[in-house]
Amino acid sequence: MQPIQAILFEPIGCLAEFPSGPFHEIAALLSGAVKKKPSPSGSRGYWHLLNLMEATGLPGRGSLELAAVRAASLYEDAVPALAELKQMGVPLRIASSLGHAALTRFVDDHKLGPFFDEVWSRDNAGGIKSIPIRQAAAGLSGAIFLTDTLAGLQSAQAAGVNAILMMNNPDEARRLAGYGPAGGIVSLHELPDFVRLLVSRGKRAVV
Amino acid sequence: MKKISVYRPSTLEEAIQILSAHGPEAGVYAGGTDLLVRLKNRLQQAPTYLVDIKRIQNLRYIRDDGQGGVRIGAATKLAELADSVLLRQRYPMLVEAVNMISSPELRNASTLGGDLLQEVWCQYLRGGYSCWRNGGYMCYGAIGDNSYYHSAMGGRLCYAVYPGDAATALIPFDARVKLATAAGEKELTLEQLVPGDLLVDGRIQSHVVRHNEILTEVLLPAPKPGLRASFEKLRPRGVWDFAMASLGMSLELRGNTIQDARVVFGGIAGKPLRERAVESFLRGKELTDGLRDGAMAAALAGAAPLKYNAMKIEMAKGLLASGIAKLSETHAADPSHPV
Repeated sequence: MQPIQAILFEPIGCLAEFPSGPFHEIAALLSGAVKKKPSPSGSRGYWHLLNLMEATGLPGRGSLELAAVRAASLYEDAVPALAELKQMGVPLRIASSLGHAALTRFVDDHKLGPFFDEVWSRDNAGGIKSIPIRQAAAGLSGAIFLTDTLAGLQSAQAAGVNAILMMNNPDEARRLAGYGPAGGIVSLHELPDFVRLLVSRGKRAVV
Repeated sequence: MKKISVYRPSTLEEAIQILSAHGPEAGVYAGGTDLLVRLKNRLQQAPTYLVDIKRIQNLRYIRDDGQGGVRIGAATKLAELADSVLLRQRYPMLVEAVNMISSPELRNASTLGGDLLQEVWCQYLRGGYSCWRNGGYMCYGAIGDNSYYHSAMGGRLCYAVYPGDAATALIPFDARVKLATAAGEKELTLEQLVPGDLLVDGRIQSHVVRHNEILTEVLLPAPKPGLRASFEKLRPRGVWDFAMASLGMSLELRGNTIQDARVVFGGIAGKPLRERAVESFLRGKELTDGLRDGAMAAALAGAAPLKYNAMKIEMAKGLLASGIAKLSETHAADPSHPV
């Protein structure tokens, strides 16, 4: 892996715990069908919804996304990790398939604006899944994208970006490790060490 | 096993020159009970150039330092520590701990320095997984079977526990170490030597020793008057095994009052974990069996167990309770004879 030029974050499941309910609700509105056993995971609900939006070509529902954002709780290690990465000079970007209003609300509610130099939503990126990731990584050869779902991994791979698994759930992470993520972390506080290790390994290779 | 070259220098200076010339591809070879297994396991971090220090004079000894303490050469075999009359007289807890390290056969080959600086024994690393310590970018222990070899106190990329017992037993005596470096001699506390995972020369390791430095000596200060110490270890197999949890503890007593304490847990974190909250709790109190509950309540507040290893925390607290009970009992039986 090359030294990291930028870290791309999907807020859902990587910066904050989101409720799954609003995403299942939107999915039910789009498909006209209610899932019998909806996943309690906000991430899985969200990526299931994105798969549905991609398949049907139907738009999301901004008001329900805002409800999800309002109920989201930021991971306790998010701000310290972002602050350290910012101090290290690592460009940080949000690459999400949420709509612009929901994403702006999320960033504002948690006062994350100063950490991110770019915020890509489905609105300014012009699409979902791999499209915001591709936009956020444009011109960079060493970007990584954090995700905790298979669809997230595949979207990053489709965008030509190294997918890093957020191993929030060990059983799910063990399953996803078989899908070829470029790496994995247990907690956001490991990201600064990850960046340092890559720099250090790069130097060793040069030596 | 990969192709290796072996150097046999006769002085420390020569050894350091060779290590410096080859960079992180070179490594010190003494007992070999960790290094040769790392090579056999084909670990990416295993060295290609082995610098055999066994011919270097003056690295294998146990000596009175003339001030009531003891100096131990880093290449001294663990079996020699276990058999030392001097250590048995001054630091019986250390001898007890050494006797719980691996097997008699391995103690005949393993050195004290090797025990302190050994690589972690995570089954995923040793099994060739491409993890953080093996050129990869993921800790498989964090998401796999972490019941034995992994930290219950959080991690820093790698979640393997620091495996050595000697450090857990030496820290309660405020032991220090000496390193030979290209710039001269360096002295550190044991805690500074093994502070937990960090990046050294582009690699993740549990100790601060750089590729061209050699651990030469362990310095044990004179035991303080009234010092009592105990070492406890829980392992899956009683015959020989790494610690599921261990405890090195020393109490400095005046009469029955605890003047000072050292409480160090092993086998549960990426380093020998000094538990200062328990030390504070114990300080100034009368040593009785009744301290157990309070000490256990104060212990390991920062625990962050993985999916399968929460029992390590309970084990460690149990060891703390039995350590206090043991010291309380031996002190009550013979207050004039610290051990």
